[in-house]
Amino acid sequence: MSSAKGLYNFPFSHIYVEEKAADHDLTKKILSRYSKSAIIPIAHYKDVFNRPRQSFSIQKGSPSLILAKNTGNSVFKGAPVCQDFGYDHFYYTSCVRNCIYDCEYCFLRGMYGSGNVVVFVNQEDSFSEVEALLKNHPVYLCVSYDTDLIALENLTGFVRSWTEFTMAHPDLTIEIRTKSFRKDIYEKIPYCDRVIFAYTISPQEIIDRYEKKTASLSERLSAASCAMEKGFPVRLCFDPLIYIPNWKDIYTSMCSDVKKHIDTHQLKDISVGSFRISAEYFKKLRKDFPISPLCQFPYENHGGVMEYPEPVRNDMENTLITLLQNLISKDKIYQTDF
Amino acid sequence: MIFIVCALAAEAKPLIETMSLRKDTRSCPYETFFAEDSSVVLALSGMGTVAAASATTYLLTRFGFRKEKDFLLNFGSCAGKEEGLFLINKITDEATGRSFYPDMIYDLSSFGLPFSSEKALVTVSKVVDSLSDPNLLYEMEASAIFQAGARFVPPHRILFIKYVSDSGTDDPKKITAALLTSRARKYTSTVLAVLNHLGDVSEPEINIDEELFISTALALRLSETMRCELRQFFAYAQAADIDMEKILFGLHDEGRIPVRSKREGKEVLDVIRERLI
Repeated sequence: MSSAKGLYNFPFSHIYVEEKAADHDLTKKILSRYSKSAIIPIAHYKDVFNRPRQSFSIQKGSPSLILAKNTGNSVFKGAPVCQDFGYDHFYYTSCVRNCIYDCEYCFLRGMYGSGNVVVFVNQEDSFSEVEALLKNHPVYLCVSYDTDLIALENLTGFVRSWTEFTMAHPDLTIEIRTKSFRKDIYEKIPYCDRVIFAYTISPQEIIDRYEKKTASLSERLSAASCAMEKGFPVRLCFDPLIYIPNWKDIYTSMCSDVKKHIDTHQLKDISVGSFRISAEYFKKLRKDFPISPLCQFPYENHGGVMEYPEPVRNDMENTLITLLQNLISKDKIYQTDF
Repeated sequence: MIFIVCALAAEAKPLIETMSLRKDTRSCPYETFFAEDSSVVLALSGMGTVAAASATTYLLTRFGFRKEKDFLLNFGSCAGKEEGLFLINKITDEATGRSFYPDMIYDLSSFGLPFSSEKALVTVSKVVDSLSDPNLLYEMEASAIFQAGARFVPPHRILFIKYVSDSGTDDPKKITAALLTSRARKYTSTVLAVLNHLGDVSEPEINIDEELFISTALALRLSETMRCELRQFFAYAQAADIDMEKILFGLHDEGRIPVRSKREGKEVLDVIRERLI
């Protein structure tokens, strides 16, 4: 792709606003921050988000923002490819679709046909759904699966509102997954020991190659450390492990960095999983990134899930688990198993 | 290649002249003009949605739109409150009420199309005598061009640039060919600058060595499924900058290619995978 400077408009240069979301307070708040953007009224978010033949990777060059109301369900049972960390009632919610980062392996590229970001402004409806579930059993809820809420906190304020909601509901535990560098967030939200901050940790070489626009390894570790200092439970997710020819060296070096920056004994837990993705989603990734070694790698299809050949997968996961066992007790390491 | 659809010759004339487009003298259902170097092709659709959709499909299929390299542009006149050249960010078909959205990804401000030039447009079935919403533009083809084009063209490669010729009239004869051409001429340099800029925007493609691929597939006696697997190996080798030819020549030297059975072919395919990784 031609990458001449100034080729693209600035991110969120265009904001599509669904008619029924137009009067929502959050819509007004967001629009007030983007006075230079073009505002385009739309009837339904799918009119823009679900158009055929969109290019996720091109749209990532200048993502548009779509403000909408979610009129269907927004809380879903966790998929089998997701780690449930031993929780019986594992759910995730999708109050934002897509994120501002640009990770080449992201399943969202396959799940959604669009690289634009949708914010469902009616968070109160998600709260009602969770409250209905809580009447039946405790709930473990991932609130930042289809996005990175910390990266969007200035825009939405959802990290704060989910934290406050969790504080008020003792049977609710939430996980907020992120690749953000932000530490200030921990000064701005109330403390709650049922709000788990989960940092995806990758070697710097992988970040440079495949996790564009995300925080560096040291920034992520520093932010995770800050969260722990404030007493929040912190999880490190070595997931996905990405194969490159010198993977052993870079993951070994990454573990040294983790040891240097983090008091690993204070971690809530760690998850380890090699890259895997639904075969259906993966078709789109391959189309979108024809010259990416990560996307063109000869993965194997095991029951509809594309993953590394078993010897590669086992070697990577076992090596990392061995390295991590020097940092944390084995019972705190969760390995992907599905 | 830039594919251009204009409704009327009077609207297209300045573009045709400035780009020195030549008329296609073969028998064509729509008057078609092309650049000597095949960088531009332009069709005159005539007025209205049926003609516009049909001409768009004709142009895109006849000249083979390539979604990694080409752009589709609809350039033409419209009714609007104030004179000017506008980039369209929303198209509503008045007849169906449906709206369509080209991606607004490229920064065209330095070419004379800043954000302030963006407008929403309504496609109507006849010349409007007044503007029911003065903030909107009115014309007769865009929704059809979008719908027909969207079958072939990704939304980030379709562009609608419109200039205002009038603010609505009860007598369409007042909108003369001379008026349409003179207004179009005013904006030709801007349109050309945009096209020159976008003409350079291309997306990466994988181009495997087809000859080597086919000869290998035959030598390995691969089934259709195994061919797909081999093609994927070629794609990975190119993306990861691995010398596939070297791997295959190595297997030739070891006497493993060609094979005597499909089963042997499958085994060699596994070896190729191992050597790639």
